[in-house]
Amino acid sequence: MTQLNEANILETLRQIIDPELGCNIVDLGLIYDVTITGRQVTVAMTLTTPGCPMHESIRWGAQNALLGIEGVETAEVEVVWDPPWHPSMMTEFGRAATGVGSF
Amino acid sequence: MSGALNPAKGNPAAALGVHAPSEVVPLAFMLTGILALCFGTGWFLFRPSLLSTYHYNQSVIATTHLLVLGWICSVVMGATYQLVPVALGTKLYSEKLAQWHFVLHTVGFIGMVWMFRVWNMKQVGHFGSVLALGVGLFVYNIARTLRRVPKWNVTATAVAASLFWLSCAVAAGLTIAIAKCGYDSTEGLATAAASRAVASGLHSVAAFMSRFDAISAMHAHAHLGSVGFFTMLLVGVSYKLIPMFTLSEIQSKRRAASSVVLLNIGLAGSFMTILLRSPWKLAFALLGVAALSVYIWELGAILRARKRRTLDWGIRYFLTAIVLLCPLSGLALVLSWSALPLNEFTGQLENVYGFLGVVGVVSLALVGMLYKIIPFLVWFARYSRQIGRAQVPALADLYFAPLQALGYWAFLSGILVTCGAAAFSVEPGVRIGCASVALGVATLVLNVVKMLSHLIRPQTTPLSIESSPIPRPA
Repeated sequence: MTQLNEANILETLRQIIDPELGCNIVDLGLIYDVTITGRQVTVAMTLTTPGCPMHESIRWGAQNALLGIEGVETAEVEVVWDPPWHPSMMTEFGRAATGVGSF
Repeated sequence: MSGALNPAKGNPAAALGVHAPSEVVPLAFMLTGILALCFGTGWFLFRPSLLSTYHYNQSVIATTHLLVLGWICSVVMGATYQLVPVALGTKLYSEKLAQWHFVLHTVGFIGMVWMFRVWNMKQVGHFGSVLALGVGLFVYNIARTLRRVPKWNVTATAVAASLFWLSCAVAAGLTIAIAKCGYDSTEGLATAAASRAVASGLHSVAAFMSRFDAISAMHAHAHLGSVGFFTMLLVGVSYKLIPMFTLSEIQSKRRAASSVVLLNIGLAGSFMTILLRSPWKLAFALLGVAALSVYIWELGAILRARKRRTLDWGIRYFLTAIVLLCPLSGLALVLSWSALPLNEFTGQLENVYGFLGVVGVVSLALVGMLYKIIPFLVWFARYSRQIGRAQVPALADLYFAPLQALGYWAFLSGILVTCGAAAFSVEPGVRIGCASVALGVATLVLNVVKMLSHLIRPQTTPLSIESSPIPRPA
């Protein structure tokens, strides 16, 4: 029996994009932490810029996607600003997709 | 900020758009503006003599107001309703007032352009008053929005200053209109006490304005609007948006603040010296150029520090407009020189100065910003409630990038050819240049149609959700 795990949570969140940057929030390095407690999933994430106009949409999208996973009853997405996001947190794929140079 | 959601109790509408106003009003302003740009470009294309010869006639003034009020003001005001709350982390004070403003603005500018065209200054004044009432609602609405800003910064200062200068520009415009029609338009009013007071006021304004040279007053009015409102907003808002879009940050807050302060002082001095035909005009023009130089210095530093190396076409449009500020500033200095001989060539340089300012700098910057704002508005309206439930397109997927590129080169070559041809009064050259600008406008229209088509036919694909075989409770 497959349990909920961080890998399948991240794989699901990989389908949520930052519409301005055109890249998913996992490869952008926006996901800081995933906590699974029974059927409850809590995700700590950030955004590239405080005051980002897509703030609520992206958070809402992440919650929606998590709730679409079978076995998830409650999903909580917390937007945090510490540590501030930096492009060095992106994956190679994310950097290539957004035109951000290497670090 | 956090939020837990139960699928049965979820309320997307409540959770979305804390800072975002409704997309309807900004979109209405922007589409009206684009329509006015189409008419304005067409007018130049079929009447190139408007630019290849120097004369103030009703067509020149009508076209100028069509572009400045119909195109630029519409887009700038729509963008302000959208961007100011987002950029400053607050909420628009009243959407209802914004809706009323749209109605008054549209009726006002269409009536003004029409009445300028038939040269009925009395009706220009009446439609101008309708427009001014709309501007009053706009200023009040944005000023109340600014009062809610949690953290005051250089962008908020520039927006506040732009509201002040916009009010001054409208007041100056109405005063000029009163000076031209005050006597005949008040004859029928002088029957009741209140009407006599209005008539007396209009006579006084007309008498006061007769002290000033009419052309100088018009130039001073034009600078209040173009520098005080448009340029001030471009400078202030770009300090927020350029770092946001290029993943950078302001490099020197002091330098950014200096540019805004200098621009305000330069404009105040320029207004007075242009109005009074003072030889000090050049000194204040130099101050304005210094302000823009500091702005370009800071913008360069922001761009050098950017983490996103690739610049999309929207940003390229905007930055090219900023580069065109350099020749525009040079022309401003030349035209401010008090010993400049007044001849036919000088008159043509004034035409080039106006065209380069309105179409070269402000319009190009606005087209660049439209490629950021319209996709955002459409995406927000169509996809913000579907994200997480389906795969949604990115903003860049809403338009054709090759059309953007074609439009960029068409605009740029058209602006340069038109300026060159206008300077030397070559009418066929002006027509060719304007045809190229019209091609640029056509690419914008096609891309806007493509963006808006997402409102009717959204393009989503199902998510492939990872699932676990944990049984749900019965």
